[in-house]
Amino acid sequence: MFDVIVRNGLVVDGSGQPGFHGDVAVKDGKIAAVGRFEGEARHVVDAGGRVIAPGFIDPHTHFDVQLLWDGAARPALEHGVTCVVPGNCSLSLAPLKAADRPRLIGMFQQIEEMPPEAFTTAFEWTWEDFAGYREAIEKALSINVAPLVGHSVIRLWVMGPAAQERAATPAEIASMQCLLRECLDAGAVGLSTSFVDVDETGRPVPSRFAQFEELDALSAVLGEYGRMLQCVPEFYATDITIARIDQLAELSLKHNIPTTFSPLFDTSAVPDNAPRAIARVEEQFARGARVWPQMQTRPIDISFSLLRPSLFFARLPRWVRVLRQPVAQRLESLRDPDTVAKMVADTGPDGGEAMMGRLVLRGGDAAPAALAGKTLSEIAKARGEAPALALIELSLEHGLDVAFLSASQGHQSTDRIGPMLAHPLVHIGASDGGAHLASFSTYGDTGYLFSEFVRKGGHMSLEQAVAKITGETADIWGLKDRGRLMPGLAADIVVFDPDTIDREAELPSFDMPGDGMRYVRAARGIDTVLVNGEVAYADGAYTEARSGVVCT
Amino acid sequence: MDEAVIVGAEMVAGHDGTLELLVRLRHPNGAEGPVVLDEETGLRLMQNCGATHVDDLAGQSWRRILEGS
Repeated sequence: MFDVIVRNGLVVDGSGQPGFHGDVAVKDGKIAAVGRFEGEARHVVDAGGRVIAPGFIDPHTHFDVQLLWDGAARPALEHGVTCVVPGNCSLSLAPLKAADRPRLIGMFQQIEEMPPEAFTTAFEWTWEDFAGYREAIEKALSINVAPLVGHSVIRLWVMGPAAQERAATPAEIASMQCLLRECLDAGAVGLSTSFVDVDETGRPVPSRFAQFEELDALSAVLGEYGRMLQCVPEFYATDITIARIDQLAELSLKHNIPTTFSPLFDTSAVPDNAPRAIARVEEQFARGARVWPQMQTRPIDISFSLLRPSLFFARLPRWVRVLRQPVAQRLESLRDPDTVAKMVADTGPDGGEAMMGRLVLRGGDAAPAALAGKTLSEIAKARGEAPALALIELSLEHGLDVAFLSASQGHQSTDRIGPMLAHPLVHIGASDGGAHLASFSTYGDTGYLFSEFVRKGGHMSLEQAVAKITGETADIWGLKDRGRLMPGLAADIVVFDPDTIDREAELPSFDMPGDGMRYVRAARGIDTVLVNGEVAYADGAYTEARSGVVCT
Repeated sequence: MDEAVIVGAEMVAGHDGTLELLVRLRHPNGAEGPVVLDEETGLRLMQNCGATHVDDLAGQSWRRILEGS
């Protein structure tokens, strides 16, 4: 008797091989059989017309904090993600001495945009070491977690405030090596570092004060375990990114470790950026190094409000002058009919229709919820105003706290990005799940992969796309019993409709501690998600299953 | 020419969901490279240069980026 049988689906097993019609059986949290076989089960999932695939793995997230009160990392799990990698960009919640918590909170708030209540009321801070953090999240996991340990917190533990001031001494580096070993023994799947990130005061995070000798010494420890080094390079500058690729390659070869860097964006401003980086990656792989570039699937949306000046108005000098004034003067100017008339006139004879009409009102701020998702053009027509005037008036009516979104302004060319995502050396990731909460949604990139690059663009087959975010990801990260539908492996399974899987529209949600707001996207086309053999999500709802583990 | 000069600029979508100003500099040795400015710095540069379009920044000294910072 099996525990679960998922019947009559198209089995896409994560290997990249063609799918086949069959069943998948689960026993004791593991996959027991795949294909056609005899037997009954206590629970049967009908997958007729659906795909049965391994659960998706998201290799770049910042769910470190959220996992302490939400073991499903919502809404990641409902998108079919059964394993997340938190602790990226040099920041994890352990190891961390109690006295250093305020310093780290500032760094996390800068990156994740978490409300302060997330750190003061949402959980009890019971740990200092990595094992303690693991114990804290393991109590109620619905999703699997493969955590990285952050270079910045390792530095902070060993050096205290000097971690953000200077290079480490040989003795301090030796202490960091010991501490990293402790973390890897406690379940960390690698080390993350950053050459880019800053804290809430704009000061570089501790990892940025490390000299190469320090990273080399820590990589030597990773080599003892064969574990991953994740890095955020200076992704805005191609030449520097390539220099970092070369550094990572040297560390990979010297210590026999996998390395990955994220993000890698395509941009019309520097069209050779991603192609040059990928070409360098090819050269380094040819030498035997492992340097995996992570590329996200979703385009970059831009948003702004009149609370602060935005480059969106750069072509409108009068708007810039008004919006760069202190708030009181800015409000005075925006209430002055003559000034506003000139501002509207500046946007053209159509009152800003061409320039601003397609902007979408985001919601989640002081704007009426009923307007969220509507275009400025629609709102302006309803108000009987020109779009530019409607933008100003609506903002004034709500204390300027009204955000507008300009969709797909970067990393948006499907025809350019599709072939890159399909490249065998490009790692699909960099979702940033759990970060940038108040800026944009970081969920649903997997659904977008299928809707945009499989169904619409045809840049990869269904089987290739599944392999990219399951079997290949598990191989890159050394997650040995994940990523494929094979007897004996963990029963992380997603059942989805290949014709409809997608991400829904971005919406504000007030589900963070202290009623904090974040932007989220619901999933489309996901029927059932099993984590270690238990149904964690089905029929549009989360279950009570708490079968997630820290997986190594 | 004995210092870097702006030879072009373009608005780009930033990783964090804001617009950024990518300014391309040509250095005295002839090499060119980009510098990415955040919104405030980008707007200040345009105001400093009296620019109404990013193309107007071409020919300006890189030092204009620092003015008023």
